[in-house]
Amino acid sequence: MPPSPASAAAPPLAAQTGVKATGFGAMLQRWRVPLSVLALCLLPWVLPSQALAVNVLVFGLFAVGYNLLFGYTGLLSFGHAAFFGGGAYLTGIAIAHFGLGWFPAMLVGVLGAGVLAAIMGALSIRTRGIYFSMVTLALSQLVYYVALQASAWTGGENGLRGFTVSTINLFGFTVDFLDPVKKYYVLMVFAALALWFVSRLLNSPFGAVIEAIRENETRARACGYDVERTKLIVFILSGLICGLAGALSALHLAIVPLDTLHYQTSGLVVMMTLLGGAGSFFGPFVGALVFLLIEDVASLWTSHWQLIVGLIFIAFVLFLPKGIWGTLISRRTQG
Amino acid sequence: MTTPLLSVENIGRSFGGFVALADISASFAPRQVTAIIGPNGAGKSTFFNVLSGVLPPSTGAIRFKGKDLTGLRQHKFVHLGIARSYQITNIFPELSVHENVRVAAQAFVARYDVFSNRTRYGALDEKANAALAAVGLHAKGHRTAKALAHGEQRALEIAIALVADPELLLLDEPTAGMGPEETKDMVALIERLAAERTILLVEHKMKMILGLSDRILVLHHGRLIADGTPQSIQTDKEVRRVYLGQNDGYA
Amino acid sequence: MDLELILMQLFSGVALGAVLIMAALGLTIIFGMLGIVNFAHGALFMVGAYAGVWVAEQTGNFWWALLLAPLAVGAFGMLIERFLIRPLYKRSVDDPLLLTFGLGYVLVEAVRIVFGTDGVPFATPEALSGVVDLGIGYFPLYRLFVVGLVAVVLLALWVALEKTKFGLIVRAGAKDPLMMRVLGVDISALWLVVFGLGVALTALGGVLAAPMRNVTPEMGTLVLAEAFVVTVIGGMGSLLGAVIAGLVVGVAVSMTALFAPEMATIVMFALMALVLLFRPQGLFGQSVRA
Repeated sequence: MPPSPASAAAPPLAAQTGVKATGFGAMLQRWRVPLSVLALCLLPWVLPSQALAVNVLVFGLFAVGYNLLFGYTGLLSFGHAAFFGGGAYLTGIAIAHFGLGWFPAMLVGVLGAGVLAAIMGALSIRTRGIYFSMVTLALSQLVYYVALQASAWTGGENGLRGFTVSTINLFGFTVDFLDPVKKYYVLMVFAALALWFVSRLLNSPFGAVIEAIRENETRARACGYDVERTKLIVFILSGLICGLAGALSALHLAIVPLDTLHYQTSGLVVMMTLLGGAGSFFGPFVGALVFLLIEDVASLWTSHWQLIVGLIFIAFVLFLPKGIWGTLISRRTQG
Repeated sequence: MTTPLLSVENIGRSFGGFVALADISASFAPRQVTAIIGPNGAGKSTFFNVLSGVLPPSTGAIRFKGKDLTGLRQHKFVHLGIARSYQITNIFPELSVHENVRVAAQAFVARYDVFSNRTRYGALDEKANAALAAVGLHAKGHRTAKALAHGEQRALEIAIALVADPELLLLDEPTAGMGPEETKDMVALIERLAAERTILLVEHKMKMILGLSDRILVLHHGRLIADGTPQSIQTDKEVRRVYLGQNDGYA
Repeated sequence: MDLELILMQLFSGVALGAVLIMAALGLTIIFGMLGIVNFAHGALFMVGAYAGVWVAEQTGNFWWALLLAPLAVGAFGMLIERFLIRPLYKRSVDDPLLLTFGLGYVLVEAVRIVFGTDGVPFATPEALSGVVDLGIGYFPLYRLFVVGLVAVVLLALWVALEKTKFGLIVRAGAKDPLMMRVLGVDISALWLVVFGLGVALTALGGVLAAPMRNVTPEMGTLVLAEAFVVTVIGGMGSLLGAVIAGLVVGVAVSMTALFAPEMATIVMFALMALVLLFRPQGLFGQSVRA
């Protein structure tokens, strides 16, 4: 390597790292985890119902996990219901069939979803380009039908029931888990930890690698990165977070409907992520919030709210592919 | 001849029934510039893809510093010291120029580090700056890569390859789409790089090749039809026959 | 085990395979020619079935349904291509996929609004009801008819794609759209027609399936998954691959149903996983990484 006469002449490092956002944008970036947690803390008090708040929490986290793969790595999976549902089922089964406590049961759910993601990822990442979406969808349907048939374990068509957690023990304190507010904040702690982890990952050297792969896979490979292995790792991490969202959902609802595993659930998370803004930190939560609000409001006057959601989604794909949050921040950085 | 840095033995590559490359053997000594020429469809790109691990050869073997590379995946080639540029500019368009090179440098330090902060690897910034300086882009590190001029993007791609500190540099038409001024800069850059590295390049601009290379390989229909110094290639009968009537190489 | 029973089940498998081929055909053609995964495929299959039911009710004639429903839905498909998909060709390959997913959502809900959420009955047409003696057992005439019709459709497609000028242009257009434009072929008209053809075939599949499956707004969800399995096993946009894969899956499902009925649906997806493990590009897909 030739000596570098340039280091003195080059612009200061901060200007070189390519962070285009200034002022407000940069502040949002730096404080993204505390800001998200603050917003989540306020959620039960600003939304029309507690139930909606928990839904936003759970689906927002699901979308955060999904966004890691779709938004940041550019892989359009249609099989993430398998990890969300898998996490939910395994948590429920661990409590209902094995009498595990809520926390170990959650661990079982999350790790189980990770194992599932490792298997599905290994199979689907071998396929090229657009095949990936079809393969992930079909593999997740395999999980769906297995759950349907293994009714002794899963409750089959009726869904999994009978694992209501009424009180939990937190560091010696007994918390009433039937109180919706207390339950919300307990679940929120896990979501906050996951958000912290995702933020950390995006800031890490590994975050730079997945960014590079999304930008230009061929070049990333030619730089010496094992693209397939990197994708598999992201796939597994994404599966773990979605599994956590599923586990939280199971603890919250105390039932796991069979549809949790259906690819329509994967479709939900795809829509939420895209509505909010794929590849942005706040996007998934914004998307989950907007989607569920539309559902909440529209279902008051029509049972066909899915028509409205579908039309809005089509309009977004056509005219606002960056989603709500993604469009907002790109306006800011350009202006 | 000194011990070769790279040698290929009887390599061939076919796609379905189509033979793109057949039975090519050659060795390359360190610190030489070798140009690979041939009419369109001669197999130059396939040859480069095989040499850089993009495609495994259907037959034959590749040896680099005595190590058999046959069947290794592309990223391994880079780690062993073979880096390349592409015929069509291949960079990270949305990243800054500095980030483009920095992330390439990172491949040798931290590929799966999920927990530390990116800024911890400060040495990478220096490496990136050095590579950018080597191609004359040190003042443009903060620009978004896609905003660079065409010639600058080609130079950036070479900086990306260079930051891997490769012993063997494969350049696929480094002056493609360039005007005379940009071409001159690129030739000067390649000459500077050639002082320390082994370079293989695919090119169409004959005048440039004759001035730049120590040796020329000529491919035609996937076969190696001539291999020698620029002088010997110019007088080679077979080469004259292949190129006769084709003036795209002599522009 | 009774040999006749096994033969009979084998034949059922072929019949099921014909249904699966029909379910995958439209998807495979659009995918192979335009490089688009049509996620509204299942919904359009369902729309085809409903259109068939409606035409049959209005005319009292199954044959009109078989002819008119695919034509009408195919024309609707052309509208979709023209106004929703064409703006996306220059974007990422994910965008048409996402858009058609949203479209499927809308179509399902629209059908619920018009025809209700419960589904509609559709009897096997009288001329095709009853059973035939195959020598090894009795087989529903309608299923036999489906096998025959699918064979005719495949033959017609093969002739159209391999033996006509239209087919030549379509195949060339799929390989190198830019070159076709240079040669003065109106590529966008071509894609309009191909998309319409794919959707029409999908709708035909829906009409054919109507007497065999329950006609409900949700009937397309399973079809989409089935079509994906057949396409993935068969290989990237390969017509022959889809045919072979459809038959293999049909027979596998049918045989499993004989020995372990609860595994029948699972085996289809498991078969796909197995193929992915050993031949990620599918049975008839190209392995070359360009």
